[in-house]
Amino acid sequence: MLTIRDLSTGYGGVDVVKNISFHVGDNENLSIIGPNGCGKTTLLRAIANILPYRGEVEIDGKLLADMKHKDISRKIAMLSQMSGVYFQYSVYDTVMMGRYLHIKDKILGLPSQEDRDYVMSCLEAVDLMKVRNKAITELSGGQLQRVFLARTLAQSPDIILLDEPTNHLDLKYQIELVDYLKRWAVENKRTVIGVMHDINLAIKLSDHVLVMKNGEIRGIGKTNEVISDALLEAVYEIDVAGYMRKSLKRWETVRG
Amino acid sequence: MRMAQNKVYRVKNAMKTKVIITVVLALVVILLGVGLGSVWVPPGEIWAVIRHRVAGATLPEYISQAAVSIVWTLRLPRTLLAFIVGAALSVSGAVMQSVLRNPLASSYTLGVSSGASLAAGIVILYGITIPLLGVMSLPLMGFVFGLGTIVLVIAFASRIDGRMENNTIILTGMVFSLFVNAVTTLMSAVRREHLQRLIFWQMGSFSMRDWSTILILAPIALVGIIYIIHFNRELDMMTFGEEQAKTMGVNLKRVKWILLVTAAALTGSSIAFVGVIGFVDLVAPHIVRRVFGVSHRYVIPLSAVFGGTFMVLCDLVARTVVSPSELPVGAVSALVGAPFFAYIYFGKRARV
Repeated sequence: MLTIRDLSTGYGGVDVVKNISFHVGDNENLSIIGPNGCGKTTLLRAIANILPYRGEVEIDGKLLADMKHKDISRKIAMLSQMSGVYFQYSVYDTVMMGRYLHIKDKILGLPSQEDRDYVMSCLEAVDLMKVRNKAITELSGGQLQRVFLARTLAQSPDIILLDEPTNHLDLKYQIELVDYLKRWAVENKRTVIGVMHDINLAIKLSDHVLVMKNGEIRGIGKTNEVISDALLEAVYEIDVAGYMRKSLKRWETVRG
Repeated sequence: MRMAQNKVYRVKNAMKTKVIITVVLALVVILLGVGLGSVWVPPGEIWAVIRHRVAGATLPEYISQAAVSIVWTLRLPRTLLAFIVGAALSVSGAVMQSVLRNPLASSYTLGVSSGASLAAGIVILYGITIPLLGVMSLPLMGFVFGLGTIVLVIAFASRIDGRMENNTIILTGMVFSLFVNAVTTLMSAVRREHLQRLIFWQMGSFSMRDWSTILILAPIALVGIIYIIHFNRELDMMTFGEEQAKTMGVNLKRVKWILLVTAAALTGSSIAFVGVIGFVDLVAPHIVRRVFGVSHRYVIPLSAVFGGTFMVLCDLVARTVVSPSELPVGAVSALVGAPFFAYIYFGKRARV
């Protein structure tokens, strides 16, 4: 259970996220949508305790500000947008890093059989078993994105924050990823909060949606109640619904 | 499944072989370091001398007292010191590169050597020493000034940039280094008559050092290196960037401080005794990553072994090539290190 109250944050004294409040219940997923630069990523970074913020973030009745960093990381994991990879760790070793807080051997940091099994199950979930001994520098963008997702899953958090998780993924993996995340949330009674570029995938991921523009909330609640043609057009400044209808028609013509 | 398993075993076995080769190589080089010189002392005699001095075993008759003193008072401490210094500098370099995510980062870029040089300037040029400490004044002040500079750099960087971004730290380090170097230069311009000694100190040397140096330096190096090995997972995670390390649960600011200061202490204590020796800290970790992969549970201990070996070799070259006089070991290591580093770093870039 995650509650955000009056959260404002930004960079260099300029607020990019302004006075945002919302609530995500257990077993609920949330998609955050909005145009580029609207503050979606910044909001996630504040919740993940990477950026300092004003306001309150509360998880299971406890304020994040009162928790130790390690305890926050046990609850919240974040899949960031991909940055450069410089060092050639193996896929397996990279995913094992997600077990950092779970590994009991604090002196040498050697994983137990349980940790190893958990990592294997995460690799299986994102379909990377075959390449698990490869160096991550040899992978395609899509494979790498799945490695980082597996590492996020390996943290076994209560809440997963995803920053455009389907970037770099082809259609098959986009759909499979969203399906998997939904299943993962239901089966483990956990929460996924995703910043999504693709509105279709956003609707697929969650029953709830948060629409942002210029750092403010333009709509929040059940997807079918919030999303309207007018709202999307106001936020994205193009006729989104009309475009999607036209795409569908074009698709049907192409198919014959 | 079985094939994959076999592959894992093969990789592990290859690793074991490489580690064994490296350790054997290190021992051979140490034996050469002790054995080679104006008089060749074979390994058997070295062993006999060590047993004689350490365990009190009777010395075989064919070994002269001269050989005993060559091995025990001259070459063995010198070789071990070179090894310890090489190990400490290399581990320090590996940590700096990973923590700051910059292949060129080192204690030197962050101002450790500048601070130590300033201390050397004060002691050598002005003859200012700490009462009661005598000859130990230079090492102690070098260590304090070297470490002090980097602590100032990190504190300053965290003051102007709360998130302690790597670029801020590196730039701050360069600014502080330039400033401190300028102070040293000014001081030496005023006191030219002692300049030569300062220059020799800055070039680094293992000569004129005895067992007492090792008794001080070995425990510092050992504790520092083991403490850093303890952070091998955090080091691995930090190479993915600070944000990712943080979301995985690393207490970033604290770990970063600890690692940078420990690494600087390793460098500071080494150069305090032997002067500025460059390039081993830059080169050794890169080579180790090439051969053994990037996991820090290998990179850190093997950088120590490899860096130590490299330093013994450099010192061997430095004191035998123009014998009976000596080359400055800092110059030798840079002479060998610089082209090698260019090959590793730019060679890789050219291929990509």
